[in-house]
Amino acid sequence: MSIIATPVPPPEAPGAAARVPSGHASAVPGPLRFIGRALRTLWSNGKARAGLIILGIIILVAIFAPVLAPHSPAATTFTPYLGSSGTNWLGTTGNGQDVFSQLIYGARVSLIVGLCAGALATLVAATFGLISGYRPGLVDEVLSFVTNLALVVPGLPLMIVLTAYIQGHSVWTIVLVVAFTSWATGARVIRSQVKTLRAREFVTSAVFSGERLFRVAFREILPNMTSLVAASFFAAATAAVLAEASLEFLGLGDPATVSWGTILYAAQQQNALLTGQWLMVLAPGLAIVLLMVSFTLINFGIDALSNPRLREK
Amino acid sequence: MRSLSRTRAAAVSACAVAVLAAGASACSNNSPGNSAGSSSGGGTLTIQGDAGNPTLVENFNPLSSAELGGTRLIYAPLETVSSVNGGYTPFLATGYKFTSPTTLVYTIRQGVQWSDGTPLTPADVVFTFDLLKKHTALDANGIWSQVTAVSAAGSNVTFTFKAPDVPFAATIAQTPIVPKHIWSTVANPVTFTNTHPVGDGPFMLGSFAPTQYTLTKNTKYWGASKIAPSSVVFPAQSTSQSTNQLDVSSGQFDWAYQFLPDIQRTYVNRDPATNHYWFPPGGTIGLYLNLTQAPYNNVNFRQGISLALNRATIAKKAVNGYMPAASTSGIILPNEQQWLSPSLPDQGMVSQNIPAAMAAFAKAGYKLSGGKLVGPNGTQATMTIVQPNNFTDWVAAATEISTELGKVGIKVSLDEPQYAQYSQTTQSGTFNAAMGGFGGTGIPYNDYNLALNSTYAAPVHTPTANNFERYSNPAVNQALATLAATTSPSAEKQATDRLETMMYQNLPIVLLYYGGSWGIFSTKHFTGWPSASDPYTLPTPYNYALLTVVTHLVKA
Amino acid sequence: MGYILRKVVLFIITLWAAITLVFILPRLMPGSPVDAALGKLASAGVPITNAERAAIEAQLGAPHTSLLAQYGDYWNSIATLRFGTSYSFPSQTVAHTIGVALPWTVFLVGTTTVLAFIIGTLLGVYAGWHRAKLADSSVTIGATFFGAFPPFWLGLLLLYWLSFKYGWFPIKGGYDPGTTPNWSLSFVGDALYHSVLPGLTLAITTLSGWVFGMRNNMINTLGEDYVTFAEANGLRSRTVAMLYAARNALLPNVTAFGLALGALIGGTVLVEGVYSYPGVGNLLYLAVTNHDFPLMQALFLVITLSMLVAIFIVDLLYVRLDPRVRSST
Repeated sequence: MSIIATPVPPPEAPGAAARVPSGHASAVPGPLRFIGRALRTLWSNGKARAGLIILGIIILVAIFAPVLAPHSPAATTFTPYLGSSGTNWLGTTGNGQDVFSQLIYGARVSLIVGLCAGALATLVAATFGLISGYRPGLVDEVLSFVTNLALVVPGLPLMIVLTAYIQGHSVWTIVLVVAFTSWATGARVIRSQVKTLRAREFVTSAVFSGERLFRVAFREILPNMTSLVAASFFAAATAAVLAEASLEFLGLGDPATVSWGTILYAAQQQNALLTGQWLMVLAPGLAIVLLMVSFTLINFGIDALSNPRLREK
Repeated sequence: MRSLSRTRAAAVSACAVAVLAAGASACSNNSPGNSAGSSSGGGTLTIQGDAGNPTLVENFNPLSSAELGGTRLIYAPLETVSSVNGGYTPFLATGYKFTSPTTLVYTIRQGVQWSDGTPLTPADVVFTFDLLKKHTALDANGIWSQVTAVSAAGSNVTFTFKAPDVPFAATIAQTPIVPKHIWSTVANPVTFTNTHPVGDGPFMLGSFAPTQYTLTKNTKYWGASKIAPSSVVFPAQSTSQSTNQLDVSSGQFDWAYQFLPDIQRTYVNRDPATNHYWFPPGGTIGLYLNLTQAPYNNVNFRQGISLALNRATIAKKAVNGYMPAASTSGIILPNEQQWLSPSLPDQGMVSQNIPAAMAAFAKAGYKLSGGKLVGPNGTQATMTIVQPNNFTDWVAAATEISTELGKVGIKVSLDEPQYAQYSQTTQSGTFNAAMGGFGGTGIPYNDYNLALNSTYAAPVHTPTANNFERYSNPAVNQALATLAATTSPSAEKQATDRLETMMYQNLPIVLLYYGGSWGIFSTKHFTGWPSASDPYTLPTPYNYALLTVVTHLVKA
Repeated sequence: MGYILRKVVLFIITLWAAITLVFILPRLMPGSPVDAALGKLASAGVPITNAERAAIEAQLGAPHTSLLAQYGDYWNSIATLRFGTSYSFPSQTVAHTIGVALPWTVFLVGTTTVLAFIIGTLLGVYAGWHRAKLADSSVTIGATFFGAFPPFWLGLLLLYWLSFKYGWFPIKGGYDPGTTPNWSLSFVGDALYHSVLPGLTLAITTLSGWVFGMRNNMINTLGEDYVTFAEANGLRSRTVAMLYAARNALLPNVTAFGLALGALIGGTVLVEGVYSYPGVGNLLYLAVTNHDFPLMQALFLVITLSMLVAIFIVDLLYVRLDPRVRSST
């Protein structure tokens, strides 16, 4: 995840730690009601609304790709190296595939990798962060140690090594590799938040009232961190989209997979800029940007959801 | 970017360069630069140089494998050998002859001086070969696997071979020679970087900077009057292919070796009067099948695969239409036209013929059933093709192959690891199928010997770089032995014809299309570049073709 | 004090584990250095024969020894700070190879990070102060958009348009070909000129992190009682923004600074690749593709160490910033 700093608030900002649980923290709402309320609140935030709309469109494109794409993304039936035309809006690849159709189908892979790798990384991060933050002493030391270790090994080179190590380069290889290399930041943020919350009165009182440790961790602390976990998820998903594109751009993906990263790789290989096919470079790049922007915009909404001071008037 | 894109795209990695010998007993009398006219010239020649990683490492040790390319203009060998047709161009030697099939005598040119003024003698030649014997790490061409003794007498140097190997003269010819009076005191010639090179070639080191080095004319060179450029500049390449393509396209080189898409538009049209290119075939790319595994060890199955493929389409997809489909005989056309067996139908070309392919598969016991090619044991024929992920033409070819074989019911999957893993899988014999290069030495014996001689077919798990498909055929070995021992042109032709026929019929390697040699030239400052009308060598600045071409140039 | 001591011990153990991990990682990759070296030669058009393989095996030698012996050699090479001999640059020690490349990356990453930090923080203050107004929205949305640019993609586009098409900037490298790095005014100017595009690419794509961090911290700080109090007491709003809010909001951004610097060194791989910049990012990619164990180890180590030290410092700083952490640990 250390590819390049991602557009996420820096970790461990005490500002984040100062987020106050909205008073009646122990009253956990039903999950559905909670999600509904979260979505409503997100929707009320202008930026998050824009993010949700963009993400929604990308998801729709991915689902209805067979309907939307004018051609098969794999069919090598066109003249290679064509520029933009009425038939091939974004031109054709060196193999004679239609770039526009590939762009539409590519949404699937980027979404899958982004969401799955993001979820996997967040799962690991939350588990590590929660346990580590809640169990000071040996457990914390060991887990923090592993987290720090994962944090300090350079991300992209590590991904390159791991991708080479895992045989057979499917999309799931990339999901695993990206998740494996990008959970550490989230774990650190969650851990420090847990540590701060632990010192709060409502947790202390819960502990004094004799509740078991893990019950406290999951009943009292986790609900107060939903926004942080969600933020971690979208941050990890953003990083995953970028990491996937980077690995594929380096030629480490599965070349048979059609994704935005492999289109960029193909464009680079055939030097599309030199032959004037600049749309083949511009379009998939912009698609990646839009997906990452949508995740980040949603994250703004989550920040606002959890921190009234950030809420828009 | 970087080496992820193959710098020498499609250069046919196997395009051997060092070795060959056409009319083995005949020596060309071409003196280098004899077409260079009288002008002793002047002017700077700019050649796209080595890849800086990210900067160049100063190393002018001609015997190491890490030397900078320009070293070949500083150290001339006995002769250079063209990878197009095996023709010799003499440098330090004036010629050679085989006094017996195991005794090779090179005659060293008289009156040659090292660039420091010391006379060059046959003792220097003997010293150089002894150095290779002492340091295996320097003997990358395996001289001492064939040679048992090197000795000097008068102006002659005699090489004694273990067994007859006439074509090996070319390998010996292209060994750089180093001065004894300097190298005898070098403690470790393997790691020696030779930053003040003293050589026998037409150029000397002028200056070195981390991203560019310059050679200046060696006035003590025996043929100095015919050398046109007064200096040669080698700017470092980027490790990024697309950056190099922008560089070449912008027209800053007199000679570059670069695959450019749509070259007419991206290079020639930028200055049609001076911008030229010559993309001759430099080797053959084929589908290597693991002959230790069923069903690939069945010749009928291989015939089926060969007939099921549309080579023209594969070539078009792989190399941008620059290269045609290949003759399955192993002969590179048109370079080696003189070797082509007249008995081969259609020059050994095979066109797609699905009914014939199905018939061949049927003979191997495979039948189409519900869209699947099913074998005697009732399971579908499968194949995993492996190729390095940065060899983009191979990847494109394999993609097309998987589509076409899919249509005859074979389940094909592709594996694109980094080169190291490709190398390990193929050389240890644990692959199903692999893309690979064949030939390109300009000498049929060397092409066939490296690829087909069963002495190289190591057991599975023991790495071998030669004959990694593990082909074994006594008749082929027999023909190779004949070819190695003969100095008679007619016997040579006959044995080569036999090898071509066996290649065509048995398909130990399913040859597909020619790999290109991407020579890009500007005639703004110099002319005399190799071309289709004057194909004296391949346009490859990364081997001794560099010396052949530079000594051939004339000031424009 | 116990906290500090424990952190130091932990730092040392992490260091050992990182160094060992860095030893193991490259050896996970399939294919040996010999195979990788053959690949390098194959790409350069050299015929791959058994003789070539034997020569390379004779040259590289080392990997035939046992893993334990290699581990011993590895520690020895670290202790002597020479890091052994790289396969890609057999004539130099790895320390020398890295020594040549490191200053370029430190320079590139250092200046762009400082630049991005300053600009990003100022923009963040501006946006935070004008929160929920047009200025805020344009800054955050702009930063979101630019921050999402894949650096290699932005690099390609800038390279093509500004360097190739219009010729305003060089196509590749860190300095003019033919010159040798020195401290002359003309060389430094030339190096600066070559660093504009890679620097711009890195700066644009990393700016947003600083903007968001600073903006959110600003808004939080502006909501604190003491700031409201200061404003109510009649201090001018600009004074409040600068003296109270911005200064206090800056601290967390500073602690993030150390972490980002380390991460960036690892992250320049692609940008340096696109611009053929002579730094460690480029070197690292080369080492990975060539299975150059000694070089890879040393580079991973340099990057890992810089990250580790950064985190260590952040850990220590944190104690000073948030007393609650100290008491709860």
